[in-house]
Amino acid sequence: MNNHVLEFRNVWKTYHMGDDLVNALAGLDLVLDEGSFTAVMGPSGSGKSTFLHVAGILDTPTMGVCRLNGNETVKLSKKEQARLRRNEIGFIFQRFNLMSQLTSLENVMLPMIDNDFQKAKEILDKIGLQGKYNKRPTQLSGGEQQRVAIARALINNPSIILADEPTGELDTRNANSIMQILRDLNMNEGVTIVVVTHNPVAADFADEIIHMSDGKIVNMASK
Amino acid sequence: MDLYSLAFNNIRRRKLRSILTTLGIIIGVATIVMLLGVTTGVTSAIKDETNKYMYDVVVTPASSTGSYLMDGQTASDIRNRSELYDFREVTVFSEDIKGDRLFFEGTNNWKDVKLKTGTYGVVIYQSVADKYGYSIGSKIKVKNRELTVTGISKDTQSFYVFIDQSYAKQLAGNKVSAIYASTDGDPKTVSEEIERQINGISVETKSEKVNEVQEMTGQALLFTAIIASVALLVGIISVINTMLISVMERTKELGVLKAIGFTNWEIKGSILFESGLLGFSGGIVGVIFGIIGIIGIANVLKLTEYMYGMMPLWLILGVIVGSTLLSVLAGLYPAMRASKLNVVEALRNE
Repeated sequence: MNNHVLEFRNVWKTYHMGDDLVNALAGLDLVLDEGSFTAVMGPSGSGKSTFLHVAGILDTPTMGVCRLNGNETVKLSKKEQARLRRNEIGFIFQRFNLMSQLTSLENVMLPMIDNDFQKAKEILDKIGLQGKYNKRPTQLSGGEQQRVAIARALINNPSIILADEPTGELDTRNANSIMQILRDLNMNEGVTIVVVTHNPVAADFADEIIHMSDGKIVNMASK
Repeated sequence: MDLYSLAFNNIRRRKLRSILTTLGIIIGVATIVMLLGVTTGVTSAIKDETNKYMYDVVVTPASSTGSYLMDGQTASDIRNRSELYDFREVTVFSEDIKGDRLFFEGTNNWKDVKLKTGTYGVVIYQSVADKYGYSIGSKIKVKNRELTVTGISKDTQSFYVFIDQSYAKQLAGNKVSAIYASTDGDPKTVSEEIERQINGISVETKSEKVNEVQEMTGQALLFTAIIASVALLVGIISVINTMLISVMERTKELGVLKAIGFTNWEIKGSILFESGLLGFSGGIVGVIFGIIGIIGIANVLKLTEYMYGMMPLWLILGVIVGSTLLSVLAGLYPAMRASKLNVVEALRNE
């Protein structure tokens, strides 16, 4: 039996927009198992990013149950939520979100619990950034910056990687390269990966593609 | 890599702004060190001088007698007191010379008289020499005696003639203006006892005089402290301003830090550390400038012998600790704002 890494049970997220109520998530039910690679697609406003934020404990649901590795996230204190984000979740953002004043190595080590230089260097080596430890983000290409972001996401051996449009700022070659890295991590190391994307080519790297619309899953396809 | 290194990095990254912010603190701290240092040094110099030249008790004629001189019998009664020893008498009297009042003061401490020319014996102030046309060898007629000027002192502020105390007492009809004495007993108790037993005198103790001086210098110290604190306050306000701008500019960065697992307390700690670091470095540099200022002031005021007294350790450590703590306090509000940032909104911020 597979372990559930992420579990959404009838999750709602409702926003006030002027006098109107908008359901960004409308009773979402979803279970992601350990070692799965899922792409979430859908038009703007379909609830993809909200799903990722709630899954990553960056946002709280209005109603419903979200569990990460069995922990019901809304019941945790702010400190416990932060610890869970640090230990169990790796984030990859569309715009990389690296600290411009830090080197690649320092960026990777930023969330690190134990200051293990060797481990940080090994991860950078593994994703093809050998010899670029001391480069700052401005000295790296977009693809290289996203690789540093991936290394940062991996540094604490998270149970799940949540990537929000990780190829959105990259050209086709770099986009494919980044998706291949994620694919390899999933295949070789069993890291659970969720990628929110507009890009069907990027989504094609996943084992399962979920289509969302109006805060609900409208289609789920496995390879 | 931790948030404290990141805070240090932020200061380095925004060098000009950091320098301008710390400049406010530097000016405040340097002002405090200079003003309080010089006032403290001058205060301690005054206290030293007061202690050096004052005996435990000073006996003078009571104001009710209407005279500035005690008669010989009263002086003798005082000298015979068993609880007093180490006496010093001073006689000061005045004479009308050529229509103006000239003061004659008896002294045994000739070293206190700053001689410009001539020798000790009968020393006139330069102002007396200028006014009356006296020079060394000139005769001054006083109480049917003739004094021959032997020296001229540098002082020009008043009209004094210094002569030996024994001669002054003799000229004044064996009267004295003040008797200074030491005692092994409690000066206050001794003075009250003497005042009760001998009529027509007033006895002051050294501590009363010292208290008067301390009260005066204490007020000066308080005043300068208030002025200097205003200067530091301006510096601290600039820390609040800088940290608020920094938090606003780094909204996205703070959002990322939260997203990758830093707690609100860690974020707050990093902002407070950064503002404290600004205060600490401003404090150190401010102290250095303050000390340079003190050296300059001490040289200008010719108070170099009291220079080290102007830089007490409590002042130097106090302002460094104070500027650091105040800066940490200044960082509180920006830190609260940073920790309360909504992560999702912060990540959308460009």
